[in-house]
Amino acid sequence: MNVVFAVKQYISKMIEDSGPGMKVLLMDKETTGIVSMVYTQSEILQKEVYLFERIDSQNREIMKHLKAICFLRPTKENVDYLIQELRRPKYSIYFIYFSNVISKSDVKSLAEADEQEVVAEVQEFYGDYIAVNPHLFSLNILGCCQGRNWDPAQLSRTTQGLTALLLSLKKCPMIRYQLSSEAARRLGECVKQVISKEYELFEFRRTEVPPLLLILDRCDDAITPLLNQWTYQAMVHELLGINNNRIDLSRVPGISKDLREVVLSAENDEFYANNMYLNFAEIGSNIKNLMEDFQKRKPKEQQKLESIADMKAFVENYPQFKKMSGTVSKHVTVVGELSRLVSERNLLEVSEVEQELACQNDHSSALQNVKRLLQNPKVTELDAARLVTLYALHYERHSSNSLPGLLVDLRSKGVSEKYRKLVSAVVEYGGKRVRGSDLFSPKDAVAITKQFLKGLKGVENVYTQHQPFLHETLDHLIKGKLKENLYPYLGPSTLRDRPQDIIVFVIGGATYEEALTVYNLNRTTPGVRIVLGGTTIHNTKSFLEEVLASGLHSRSRESSQATLRSASRR
Amino acid sequence: MASLDDPGEVREGFLCPLCLKDLQSFYQLQSHYEEEHSEDRDVKGQIKNLVQKARRAKNKLLKREGDDRVEPGTQGYESFSYGGVDPYMWEPQELGAVRSHLSDFKKHRAARIDHYVVEVNKLIIRLEKLTAFDRTNTETSKIRAIEKSVVPWVNDQDVPFCPDCGNKFSIRNRRHHCRLCGSIMCKKCMELIGLPLANKLTSASKDSLSTHTSPSQSPNSVHGSRRGSISSMSSVSSVLDEKDDDRIRCCIHCKDKLLKREQQMDEKEHTPDIVKLYEKLRLCMEKVDQKAPEYIRMAASLNAGETTYSLEHANDLRVEVQKVYELIDTLSKKILTLGLNQDPSPHPNTLRLQRMIRYSATLFVQEKLLGLMSLPTKEQFEELKKKRNQDLEQRRTMERQAALESRRKLEESQIGFAANGEARSLRGIPAPLRKAEGWLPLSEGQGQSEDPDPLLQQIYNITSFIRQAKAAGRTDEVRTLQENLRQLQDEYDQQQTEKAIELSRRQAEEEELQREQLQMLRRRELEREQEQFLAASLHTRTRALDLREVIPFQLEPSRGPHSDLTYALDQDSSPVQSSTVPNTLSPASTLAPIHLWSGPPALGQELFLQNTVSQQSDKTSLNPFDEEDLSNPAEASPAAAEAFLGPSAPVTREYNPFEEDAEEEEAGELGAGNPFTDPNSPAPNPFDEDDRPRPASPSAPGNPFEECPCTNPFEVDSDSGTEAEEHIEEELLLQQIDNIKAYIFDAKQCGRMDEVEVLTENLRELKCTLAKQKGAPN
Repeated sequence: MNVVFAVKQYISKMIEDSGPGMKVLLMDKETTGIVSMVYTQSEILQKEVYLFERIDSQNREIMKHLKAICFLRPTKENVDYLIQELRRPKYSIYFIYFSNVISKSDVKSLAEADEQEVVAEVQEFYGDYIAVNPHLFSLNILGCCQGRNWDPAQLSRTTQGLTALLLSLKKCPMIRYQLSSEAARRLGECVKQVISKEYELFEFRRTEVPPLLLILDRCDDAITPLLNQWTYQAMVHELLGINNNRIDLSRVPGISKDLREVVLSAENDEFYANNMYLNFAEIGSNIKNLMEDFQKRKPKEQQKLESIADMKAFVENYPQFKKMSGTVSKHVTVVGELSRLVSERNLLEVSEVEQELACQNDHSSALQNVKRLLQNPKVTELDAARLVTLYALHYERHSSNSLPGLLVDLRSKGVSEKYRKLVSAVVEYGGKRVRGSDLFSPKDAVAITKQFLKGLKGVENVYTQHQPFLHETLDHLIKGKLKENLYPYLGPSTLRDRPQDIIVFVIGGATYEEALTVYNLNRTTPGVRIVLGGTTIHNTKSFLEEVLASGLHSRSRESSQATLRSASRR
Repeated sequence: MASLDDPGEVREGFLCPLCLKDLQSFYQLQSHYEEEHSEDRDVKGQIKNLVQKARRAKNKLLKREGDDRVEPGTQGYESFSYGGVDPYMWEPQELGAVRSHLSDFKKHRAARIDHYVVEVNKLIIRLEKLTAFDRTNTETSKIRAIEKSVVPWVNDQDVPFCPDCGNKFSIRNRRHHCRLCGSIMCKKCMELIGLPLANKLTSASKDSLSTHTSPSQSPNSVHGSRRGSISSMSSVSSVLDEKDDDRIRCCIHCKDKLLKREQQMDEKEHTPDIVKLYEKLRLCMEKVDQKAPEYIRMAASLNAGETTYSLEHANDLRVEVQKVYELIDTLSKKILTLGLNQDPSPHPNTLRLQRMIRYSATLFVQEKLLGLMSLPTKEQFEELKKKRNQDLEQRRTMERQAALESRRKLEESQIGFAANGEARSLRGIPAPLRKAEGWLPLSEGQGQSEDPDPLLQQIYNITSFIRQAKAAGRTDEVRTLQENLRQLQDEYDQQQTEKAIELSRRQAEEEELQREQLQMLRRRELEREQEQFLAASLHTRTRALDLREVIPFQLEPSRGPHSDLTYALDQDSSPVQSSTVPNTLSPASTLAPIHLWSGPPALGQELFLQNTVSQQSDKTSLNPFDEEDLSNPAEASPAAAEAFLGPSAPVTREYNPFEEDAEEEEAGELGAGNPFTDPNSPAPNPFDEDDRPRPASPSAPGNPFEECPCTNPFEVDSDSGTEAEEHIEEELLLQQIDNIKAYIFDAKQCGRMDEVEVLTENLRELKCTLAKQKGAPN
């Protein structure tokens, strides 16, 4: 159950099957992203793939000495492009791989275009999702729902992505979904439909315990994507934004040219691989070690250049040296920028209050803290809005709810209307009315005592007390205690044993905090393998956009205006 | 290791207790055990336990953590990461589901292609018929008749408009027939096929029909491209209006098909330069992939002092591999610059391709070349061999001791058992039963009967008894037997643990010792190498020593202990230095260090004379005392006598030659009575100084009598010789530095950090010397 490996294996197989010789990889926009997540350029170069082309690019030269490997999504446009390509072939031979199920009629029209018999292979390889981490995948869809229902195009893309994932991992799962979400049920049905339609594809060796697909909806936990993060990967995404492993650093003051965009990939950056789940403080010390290591090496290399033998040794060490210097400068830049942002935006204080809002139930102190921070000029618009939103979500039905007052404070702070509207929009999106389960107050006795003990002992780290709701859900699922009235099975059959292979999919996007939770669960519970996926991977900004895109704020406009009015009346 | 063992020898080492296979190390033994003997559960548990315990004990003793053969500092960056994947995720994962549409695709394509191929073939056959006769010398009407016979022409009346452009046919706009399909078109839409093209197309089909006929292509039939053929044709057609003796009229559709066919033919024949070069490049890379691992295996083995491969062979292979690398480099460079000078500069994509190929070739070379470790020189190799043999010997003795120990213990324990009533009964029960209904120890293959450990064997026997008893349904017996077994196992366990601890302790000590020895060896090796340079100096040195030896005896017997230094010198001279330095006041004792220092200059000279150090000089350098002792005393003692009897003046003169500064020596004989005050005076370790360029000073310290014949040649040399000498010495130094680097690399590979430190120290000193040397000849 390693999604990165699964996609990588597909790509390797494609390249292998095409045999020796110079090759060009023909892709579309999406598959380019898919391939780039699992293969680096130098890695793929070693397999004799020298050119990467987009199927829709017009400026391609005829190069009959190249073999073409086409990895495309089976869309209408791609099939049309391919038909044109085959009519006037630019390369000597074509190996065609579709990332998902392709219709028979499309195959026929392609076959009829291949008059020169240049096609050597037509296959379906189900690498139709972005493999972010070994246990985390995304479909890079922002704004999957309209209101509470699916955007039909996104539903079909999500179905495709999810079924491709199942096929690439060779899992034919039982499906459970979150009852409170209509979208979850719809998606579950669509996946089930595909499974029954392509039953011969889903015929895998039966495992003792069948795998489980759990479909959740983001609206059940709107808290997690609103929190500031302190582990490396999550923090980078929250503060800088990760897009297909790429980070845009162009806004960093005084950035050098070659660091405008850096790649953070655990596949070929060992430092990142070892540190992506560590918290900021630990990374600081690790970076220091890395620097020291680097400095220790650097002068030695320079000083040694006295003889020809030295130079030779230097050149021999050069790739490693260079690689390391690249790693060092990259991580130093990224961490430097993170710490700059932390102090500039006063994030330590903000995060402390966020965590208090998310994890504790002391209304008056929370309100006081939020109010205090709203007065702080260092706190940005986004952070102010997120604090108020968190407050609104937690104390939505509290007797002395003073959200209107906070909204006034927001306005007087100069927070733009977009953000102020978002407060109510998020409440509309993931408020108590929508949630199927209780986010804030523990239900069973064990959890209550746990929280009580926590309160006694004090928390280890105030910035990371929050556990995403997913943790509880998965914990129950693993123990076989997940309530069937909240998460029913799709279809008549139910799982008698505890599940072993679990695929969790979050409609509306997962977060890196949840990815960390899944990573830890995988590590601590032997015999259980969990893969997490989402329509996208959110940070606060993208989550707010998702909420905006769902169009829920329009309905809540009146209510927010009402609160504003009531506030101004006061 | 096994290769060194004589067949008849008693086998020792990490032997597998079950199949007596020699497995060289704990880890290998463990893995071997798990692979080969996993079916024997009981014993496996024991052995596993033992191995684990031993390892734990060893770690504890050595205060090391786990398998720390890779130094922690470098581990982080050199080893390839698993990309943040936890190992549990790496369960074997097969390729995900796939589905092929190829057969479906081929079915649809075949239908289309068949049609297409038939059409093209039809056209070619007709074309052949049309060109089969001599067109130029045949009458037009006759040609027309033949043409009409090839394909029936469409009736003129049936086609009032040109089917391609839609123009109405009239007297002015006449109808033309396609000679290949018989259809009608107007003149504008008419195409022509020249004979060369026709010949080319048909000859290919003839070729394919009868492979033996040689291609009857006319030389100009190979058109460069399709565009060329079109343009040439249309220009000709405008000039010659109606007469198309050497061309065939056809419609645009037929022509298109034929041209496609031609293009395919061209492509089949044509391979661009880049492909040729690229194929060569790949061939080279394959060769490297083949040879490099072989070489690395060789080098590793040689560097470990094994004699499986010959050094020369490895060297040849290294040269070969390096040559291939150079070839890869040049080939990829060629690819990079391909077509850069052409006038219409190539398509950016072509250039990108070329750049990428070059880049990947560079990556390839960088990555692979890095893995090529260096080979030891001949001398080093000899040393390594010696070292390895020593190691082996040591290990063997160690193992032997351990074995003896364990055997002794076993005996003891057996005695203990014998004393124990239970043990007796344990042995006793099966014995009487054996004949009638007893349990026979089952031999379960793999020669347990030869099991060296009787206790183990006993365990075996009992387990098999238990099995038999179980089979016979004697539960009470089973119970007693099981009890016995448990006790036996406990005993065995304990014993093994003790043994393991003992073993590992000894191993730790051994390792410590080895490390020390290794260090010593290395140091000595270095010294010896320098001694090679020093070969000549030994003459003087011995002489000097003798001299000193004589002097104290004659004049100051109390200083007798100094004579020890002579022998100590070879081993470690720095203490000599330090002990004598304080005694500068006494002329007799100062003599010693001075003499010592006179070594190096002579080294350079002697080296020149002998050029490369031969084995002979090696010998002399190793035991100089044997040969020189006979002659020297005679020489030295008078010198010493003279030196002492005379006033202080001759003594000072004697000092002078050893001074560093040749000019000073020449200028002021009296000037420097004490070389130690010289600002340039070298560090107390003479070995560091050995390579130092020093003007050749007279190396006949003890021979004031023979002053002229002996010292003069050197003095003459002193100025002119220094440069050349320096040059060579610099080279030697560099070589030395390289060698030490190789050692360091080697030591790092094996994780011997303390050695690395020592060697690095050496390296630093050498470099220091080199720098000084460079600075010296102002």
